[in-house]
Amino acid sequence: MTTPERIQDPDTSSAGAPTPSAIASSLVLQNLGISFGSKQVLRDVNLDVQPGQFVALVGPSGAGKSTLLRLVNGSHRPTNGTVSVLGVNPSTCGRRNLQRLRTRVGFVFQQFGLVGRLSAMENVLMGTLGSLRMPRYGISTYPKTLREKAVANLERVGLLDQRFQRCDTLSGGQQQRVAIARTLMQDAEIVLADEPVASLDPSASLAVLNTLKRLSAEDGFTVICSLHQVDLALQVSDRVVAVRNGSLILDTRTSDTSEEALRAIYEEAKGTRS
Amino acid sequence: MSGTTRQIVEDPRTPRPGSREPRDGQRPAAPRTSPPGSKRPRVSAATLGIPLAYLAVTVFGVWWIDIRPAAVAAGFGDIARLLERMVPPTTGPVSDLLTLALETLWIAIAGTGLATIASVFLAAAASRHFTGPKLVRWLAQGIIIVTRAVPSLIFAILFVRIFGLGPLAGGLAIAVHSIGMIGKMMADVFEEQSPSPREAIASVGASRLQNFVSTTLTRALPAVTSLVIYRLDINVRASAVLGLVGAGGIGVALQTAIGSLNYRRAAGIILVIVALLLILELVAYLVQRAVAEHADEHTQSQLHVAGSTPAAPGWNRSRVLRSAAAVSAVILFLYSLSQLSLNLSRLGQAWNNALALLSGFVPPVFTEEILLGIFESVIMAFTATFFGVLVGLVIAVLSTRHLVRFEPLSLALRGIVVFMRGIPDIVYALIFVAALGLGPFAGFLALSISCTALASKFFTDSLQNIDPAPLRALEATGAGRIQVFVSGVWPQFVPSFIGNSLFTSDLALRESAVLGIVGAGGIGFLLDESVATLHYQQTAGILIGLIVVVVALESVARWARRKVI
Repeated sequence: MTTPERIQDPDTSSAGAPTPSAIASSLVLQNLGISFGSKQVLRDVNLDVQPGQFVALVGPSGAGKSTLLRLVNGSHRPTNGTVSVLGVNPSTCGRRNLQRLRTRVGFVFQQFGLVGRLSAMENVLMGTLGSLRMPRYGISTYPKTLREKAVANLERVGLLDQRFQRCDTLSGGQQQRVAIARTLMQDAEIVLADEPVASLDPSASLAVLNTLKRLSAEDGFTVICSLHQVDLALQVSDRVVAVRNGSLILDTRTSDTSEEALRAIYEEAKGTRS
Repeated sequence: MSGTTRQIVEDPRTPRPGSREPRDGQRPAAPRTSPPGSKRPRVSAATLGIPLAYLAVTVFGVWWIDIRPAAVAAGFGDIARLLERMVPPTTGPVSDLLTLALETLWIAIAGTGLATIASVFLAAAASRHFTGPKLVRWLAQGIIIVTRAVPSLIFAILFVRIFGLGPLAGGLAIAVHSIGMIGKMMADVFEEQSPSPREAIASVGASRLQNFVSTTLTRALPAVTSLVIYRLDINVRASAVLGLVGAGGIGVALQTAIGSLNYRRAAGIILVIVALLLILELVAYLVQRAVAEHADEHTQSQLHVAGSTPAAPGWNRSRVLRSAAAVSAVILFLYSLSQLSLNLSRLGQAWNNALALLSGFVPPVFTEEILLGIFESVIMAFTATFFGVLVGLVIAVLSTRHLVRFEPLSLALRGIVVFMRGIPDIVYALIFVAALGLGPFAGFLALSISCTALASKFFTDSLQNIDPAPLRALEATGAGRIQVFVSGVWPQFVPSFIGNSLFTSDLALRESAVLGIVGAGGIGFLLDESVATLHYQQTAGILIGLIVVVVALESVARWARRKVI
């Protein structure tokens, strides 16, 4: 099944965001495809995400979810089609403009991407490097205003007391919240999260996703979050997009789908593989 | 060789796990016709061939160097008579010696600092993660290979020709040669890092330089600090002998003392060198331990205490110490640079000298004499390694506490090894040349002593780390000590034995290339003479030959390690 069950622009008023017609889309993918050698990883993906939406991207391993997020981030270039992130095409904008675009696009990684031997605060401050000129080493090398902002963001993710603690001594859930605080430093308009809770236990997973959801609602940034846990996807997202074998097969409001329907996508993929 | 040539980047003591195991799916399992375990394990051709080849080279070396029991006995008599003339040691004016000892230290610190700065850029460019032009990467890798292959004393000879006599040539020689090791090891550290933080910081729009500093360099800092301290220890040893070619430091006084047959003063200077090296080794050990403790995540989870405001990190003892150490290191480095007698007016002349030297390199000349010199260096190194490894093994077994439970012997042997390692190879060579006359026999003896000291140190470390449980189990069955060693110790120890033996021979090869400078055989004499007589084409031929041989033998050693371990 390569045609999505329901390709539509869900009414975003349910997520508290303006209607699509009022403002420009955060992300538009048109006929997007990418191949690595002879392997087609994504084909004909079309997607339009409005500001403020929390989109859960689900699908079995190897379906192309991470590749899709990396295309949005400009880490990969598409073989076909176009990507427009906040009105900019990351694959054609050049290195400088890509750096500029990335300051507006947050990315939360499964493996957190933290420098373990540094404090939580210094890791959070690194989120501002794109807007600073020189390299920085040590908390004191960052401007005072940014340091204060880092403290505020660490407080928002519940880690104020751990701000001077080495990151590799924090729990997995705490480390992911440091990574989210780092993203907050960017004042990002869109946050891409690539399986952010894959290496966390269920309670830490829910805490991290709830934090992301709350911050998205407070600050109004868009979230595109790839997840394997369909129950969590249903709890936190406004919209669910499913990918299988490189094709977008489902795009629906969260309230219009069910856990069984999403699990079926995984079961079918298992059947195809076996 | 105790210090100047410890520049191999891989730790040969680390066995490569599974190197002899077929990979999954690589080779289908043969149908089993006999019960499991009933077949004798196959011994590969390499396992037998490599030691046999080494033995053949040693036998040839014994003939080439003319090592005969009578000559050795007579040689020991001559050395004993020379040692008698060294007692009691004197130092002469202490202030002069102190000034030279300090100059040695400044040369080492300045050279290590310069090499570290250059290595950061070279390692970043040589690393697999470098995303710039391939030509830059190849160039960086080439510089690292060449600077590692040419010993610092040879660079010193060239730089004395360019910059004139004095510590500037010495500091630069130490710096250039150190780039080989620091650059290679730093690149390895960079390559081993997980790409995750780098990707994360690239995704916030940071520039490549910002990303490199914040993620790559920051994570590498404990390893790099440890590496730099280790290299500084080596460089102090190397700078102690730079004076032999006029490149500053305490070696000048040693050469003068031996040249004027003032052996008591020479002995005093050697003792000062040994004391200086041992003190610095202790300091290096303490600093490295502190760095390792800081790098360990569990020793200190709270990096800072709260400061005057929530956004300001406060000062605790650890932060004060870290900052003080960093500031002291920078001040020491800058001060050491100021002690290199850098005279700007001489730099113009140096430029002309460098151009003359480099243009004189073309076309390089390869004569039969050069090939024979390099060949002799290789033979000396291999033969000395063979004897050094054998004696080193005996010492290591006798000084390992859980093998020979006689504490006084273990302590005495360790003390002797520490003292032996404290004396640079070329100093041994100087003494043996004075006692026995010019030629490869003096070089062979000098190398054998340093190989023995080095091998016994490596072997002792390895033997202490073997699992004692099988030994206790064998003892419980009533096995004798030799049986326990052969069946319980040796199988565990053999990969490390082979790796360390190859490592020792690699170090010996680099050192044997410079012993000729004091007349102890090998290519060093010809190299020194070619520069002194301005036959730069010959110098270029020697350098190219040396680099090719060192890199080729290093590759063979790597291959042998893979095959045998």
